[in-house]
Amino acid sequence: MPSTRRLFLKHSGILLAGAWLTGKSASAVAERLAKHFAAEDFGTLYAQFIDQRTVIDSDKLNLILPEIAEDGAVVPVSIASELDGIEKLYLFADKNPTPLLAEFELTPLIATFLTARIKLAESCSVILLAEHNGELLRTSRWVNVMRGGCGTG
Amino acid sequence: MANTVKIRSQRRDGYVEVKLLISHPMENGRNRDANGELIPAHFIEQLLVKLNDQLILTVNLAGSISKNPFFTFRLRAGNSGDRLSAEWTDNRQSKDSAEHVLD
Repeated sequence: MPSTRRLFLKHSGILLAGAWLTGKSASAVAERLAKHFAAEDFGTLYAQFIDQRTVIDSDKLNLILPEIAEDGAVVPVSIASELDGIEKLYLFADKNPTPLLAEFELTPLIATFLTARIKLAESCSVILLAEHNGELLRTSRWVNVMRGGCGTG
Repeated sequence: MANTVKIRSQRRDGYVEVKLLISHPMENGRNRDANGELIPAHFIEQLLVKLNDQLILTVNLAGSISKNPFFTFRLRAGNSGDRLSAEWTDNRQSKDSAEHVLD
């Protein structure tokens, strides 16, 4: 019996170590939460995101978009900020069927300067939220979309 | 699925600008084909950018990013010979990656 017990302890130890290791490697890469990209109403999704925290409208975030987008399927967007230590950026379009466009998780090696190309379903506000030292900063831009880019327009 | 990722970098004053172009349909599941059938959703879910195997940028995305995603970002520092890699995973669990060595 003692040998079985020893064997059991040994094996459970290995299992625990394995679980700890896999747990660790999983947390190294931030998890993509499917619920963030759910096809929800913007208001509901946004409320979940800010989770009753105070949102500060900031002029230190630069969100650059065309005022008029001919083709909603390809709209260039630039995000820039002089602020140091922005940890996360969330980009929303309030009229898109899937309002969250992208989540960027930055590290100190990356300057806060990003560009991408997004789809906009119709004329809407594009909203940028930034996590910065425990605060939520926000800015937004209105874009007139001539032709919808999500297969809905 | 070979060579879907193209990476270019350019050294500028005080930073390195990186351009990333990925060939991917980025179908959001709402478009219809010529016969009026819905085209199934097929989009990149996550993009990981690493510098010398260290994760420096994570982008979580969905079908609201345009077809053939194009991203630009800036590295605060980068030495000649540093290895920059980008890897994407889509909603069908396909993956591809590319590596680029900084000038």
